[in-house]
Amino acid sequence: MRIGLDVGGTHTDAVLMDGTTVVARTKATTTADVASGIEAALRVILAECDPAAVDLLTIGTTQFTNAVIERKQLSKVAAVRVCLPAGRGLMPRSDWPEDLVKSTDGGSYLLHGGHLYDGRELAPLDDAEVTALIRSLNDAKPAAVIVSCAFSPTQPALEMALVDRLRAALPDTPICPSHQIGGLGLIERENAAILNAALLAFADRVANAFTGSSSRLGLRCPVYVSQNDGTLITLERLRHYPALTFASGPTNSIRGAWALTGLSDAIVIDIGGTTSDIGVLKNGFPRQSNLVIDVGGIRTNFRMPDVLATGLGGGSLVSDDGRTCGPQSVARELRQKALCFGGDVMTLTDIAVSRGRLAISDAAVTSPVTEALCDIVDETILAKLNAAVDQMKPGGAILPVILVGGGAALVPGDNLAGCPIVRPDNADVANAIGASIAQVSGEAEMLHVASKQSRSEVVELVTARAETAAVSAGAAADTLSTINVEALDIPYMAAETTRIRVTVVGDLDDPSKRAS
Amino acid sequence: MKIVASDIDDLALGAVFLATGGGGDPYLPALIAKQTLVQTDGVTLIAPEALRDEDFVVPIGGVGAPTVSLELLPSVDEASQVLDRYERLMGRSIAAVASFEIGGGNSLMPLMAAAVRGVPVVDGDGMGRAFPEAQMMSYAIAGVTPTPALAMDYAGNTATFETADTVTYEHHIRAFAAAAGGMITVAEHPMSGAELKASVISGTVSFSLKLGQLLRKQRGPINQLMPALRALFNESVYGAIHQIFSGKVASISTRTVGGYDVGDLSIQDFHDPNAVCSITIKNEYLVAMVDGRPLAMVPDLIVIVDAETAAPINAERLHYGQRVAVLAIGAPEFYQTPQALAATQPRCFGIDLDYQALAELVPSDN
Repeated sequence: MRIGLDVGGTHTDAVLMDGTTVVARTKATTTADVASGIEAALRVILAECDPAAVDLLTIGTTQFTNAVIERKQLSKVAAVRVCLPAGRGLMPRSDWPEDLVKSTDGGSYLLHGGHLYDGRELAPLDDAEVTALIRSLNDAKPAAVIVSCAFSPTQPALEMALVDRLRAALPDTPICPSHQIGGLGLIERENAAILNAALLAFADRVANAFTGSSSRLGLRCPVYVSQNDGTLITLERLRHYPALTFASGPTNSIRGAWALTGLSDAIVIDIGGTTSDIGVLKNGFPRQSNLVIDVGGIRTNFRMPDVLATGLGGGSLVSDDGRTCGPQSVARELRQKALCFGGDVMTLTDIAVSRGRLAISDAAVTSPVTEALCDIVDETILAKLNAAVDQMKPGGAILPVILVGGGAALVPGDNLAGCPIVRPDNADVANAIGASIAQVSGEAEMLHVASKQSRSEVVELVTARAETAAVSAGAAADTLSTINVEALDIPYMAAETTRIRVTVVGDLDDPSKRAS
Repeated sequence: MKIVASDIDDLALGAVFLATGGGGDPYLPALIAKQTLVQTDGVTLIAPEALRDEDFVVPIGGVGAPTVSLELLPSVDEASQVLDRYERLMGRSIAAVASFEIGGGNSLMPLMAAAVRGVPVVDGDGMGRAFPEAQMMSYAIAGVTPTPALAMDYAGNTATFETADTVTYEHHIRAFAAAAGGMITVAEHPMSGAELKASVISGTVSFSLKLGQLLRKQRGPINQLMPALRALFNESVYGAIHQIFSGKVASISTRTVGGYDVGDLSIQDFHDPNAVCSITIKNEYLVAMVDGRPLAMVPDLIVIVDAETAAPINAERLHYGQRVAVLAIGAPEFYQTPQALAATQPRCFGIDLDYQALAELVPSDN
C-alpha cells in the first residue's frame, strides 16, 4: 500500500491507497514546523494499517515555493555565466526584487565560453579565467554555485566541463549546472538555477525532517516527493533540485483527478477557498505551459502546468445583486464571516448551502440566501467558469470536466462550456491522491536545424536522452513510454529551426520489491 | 524631450501594440534600455525637423532571430561599437541615430546606442509599425540605399555590405545573421538630414510612449478605452482607429516557413457564432476578413488586444478561447502613396488581394 501526503498552506492531507482504492484519508492542519502536521496526518492513517504494509510514502509540498515568496531559508549563491564575448548585456539577478537579491547574492562572474544556436562553439573555456574564478570562490565561500552557459540546454558539454572542474576544486560546495533546471532563455534559466541553489540547504533540512518523521512513525518504506510535471523524485534528488517542487500544488490536484477518474484527457478544476485553478490533463499528465513563470517576483522558465486561476472559491464574496462573485474572498475567515456560520458576509459557500449542494454539519443557518438570488448567483458562477473552461479547452475540443478540491460542490449543473462535468468521490483529497502516484519522468530537448538532420533522427536522439534521465530518476526501464513530443518552431531563423522536447515516463522501479 | 529609464516600460508596451502581432517579446531590450538610461541619465529625443539638412543620420537595429537573443542577450556595447565602426567606415560623425521600426524590441536599441554615444535619437522610425523586410522600410521606399551597411556579431566580428539593390541586401544580411550566431546589430540606410525628413515616419517614438502610458493608466475593457484611443490616434501621423471585430479566438495555426511565422487565425463573434473574422499572419497580422469581405489590410495596421484589459497580444501569444478585440488603424500617409504600396501591399506578402484603404472598408462612424 502507498501513502500520499500533500502539504498545502492550510491543510496537510493524507491518503492510504491500495492500488487505486482509497483505504483511509485525513485532513490535518499544516503546522509552522510542517513535520508535526505531517506526523499528525500519518498517525491517523497508520491507525488503519501496519507500517510494515506501506511500500511507499510520497509527499507533495509547497514549502519551497513559500520559502521563496517569504524570502526565508535562502542561502547565498554565486552565479557563474559562461557566455563571453556575448551575454554582457545584463548581469545576473538584474530585475530581481531587492530583498531577494540581498538574501541570495553570493557574487556574479562572467567567463568566456558557450555555444551558438547551431551547436558551434561560441568561445572555448579560458584556463586562466577558470583558475581566477576558483580563487575568488575559495575566498568568497558562497553556499552554492550555479553555472549557466549559453545554449547549454541544447549543448550541455561545456557547462558540465566547468562544473566538473569546480566540483574538483571546491568539493564541499554544491555546484549546479543550469541546464538541469531550465530550458532555453539564459536569464530565466539562470534565475531558476539561482533560486534552486539558494534552497539547497533548506532542502537538506526538509529531506531530513521527512526521513525523521517517517521513521519515528515506524515506516521503513522509501520516501519520494512529487515534482512539477506530476511524477516523483527521490529525497536524494530533492536535496539537489528543490525548485522542481514549485508547482506541486496544482500538479497533484490534476494528477489526482486522473487517478480518481481514469480519464487521461480532461479539464480539471480545483476549487479552493479563493480561486478555481483550471488545468488540462493530456495523456494523464498536466499540460505544460510554455510561458515564462513568475516565482516570487522572478522570471523563470521552469516547466510548470498550464493553469488558469479564476477568482471563484468557497470564500468568494457575492455582491447583493448576485451579479458579481469574487475575486475578493474571506479566505481563511470563512468560519467567522460567512452567513451560514452566523457572520454577515455573503459567500459562495452560503449559496451552495442554501441550494443544498453543500451540507455543513455545524452551520448556524442552513438557507441564508433566497432562492431567487441563488438563481442569479448560479448564472454568474456558470458564466465565469464557462468562459474560463472555454479558454483552456485544447483547440475547442469537448472533454470531460473533472471537479476536485474542497469547493467542488459550489459548481451547479452538469456541464461547463459544453463539456460534461464529472464529480468523483474523494475529490476533496485529490491532491494527496495525486501525490501518491508512483511514476517518474525524464526530459530532454534540442534544437533541430532542418538542413542538417532529419527530424526523426533528432527525435530519436532526444528520446534516448530523456529515457536515460528517466531511468536515472528511478524508472523501471521496461515501463518507459514517451508521453510528449513537442516541436516549437523558432521564428525569424533563416534555416528552419525547431526546438524538440521529449518527455518520457515510467513506473517507479517496484518499491515493494525493496520492502519485501 | 528626454527619454529616461522610467519611460521604457510604457514605450515597450506601445511598441508591442504598434508591432501588429510581430516584433518579439521586448522584455530583455527593455531591461537593458532601462539599465543604460539610468547610467547615462537618459537620451535626447529630437524631432526630424530639428536636424540640419546636411547632418549625417544612421538607423540602427537588430536583424535575425529574437530567440537567439534569449541566450546571447542584446548588447549595448555591440550597438555603440557598431556606430563607432560605422563612423570610421563612412569617415563622418553621426549627428543622430534613427530606428528601423517602432514595433517590438527594435524600437529600443537606437535609444540605448544613442544614450551611450551621447547623440540624440530621432523621434520617428522607418515603418510606423513592424514589417519583416528591409525593402518595406520608408527609408528604402523613398529611395535611400541600404548600403554601405555594417553589421556586427556577438564577438565583435563585422561585415560591410555594398549591394546593387535593397532586395539583394536583404538576402545577404540574412545570410550573415545566420552565419554569425543568428542575431546581429546593423547600421544601414545612411542618410542626410534632408533625406531623413523626406522618408521618416515622424513622431512615432513619442507617440508610442503616449500610447503605452494610456494603455497602462486606463487598463480595462477595450470598449471603455476606445474614445481615448481615438483621440490619441486622431492627433498622430496615423489614420483613424476602428474596432472592427470582437469575439473569441476559435482557431490559430502558425508554422515556420522560410524564417517566417505563417498562419491563420479565426475569431468568432461573441453573440453570433456564424460571424467569423479570419486574419492572415506572416509574422504580423496582414489581412482581416469577415465573410470573405476584407475589413483591413496591410500596410494599414491590424492590432489584436485582450477584450478585458486592452493589452496588445502578439501572434505567438494567441491561443484558443482568448477574448479579443481586433483594431485597425489607417497607415501613415507615407504608406498610402503608390511607391509605398508597391512595396507593402498584400501581394508583397503573397496574398492575392488588391489594396483597399481602411477608410473605404469601414464605415466612418467613428
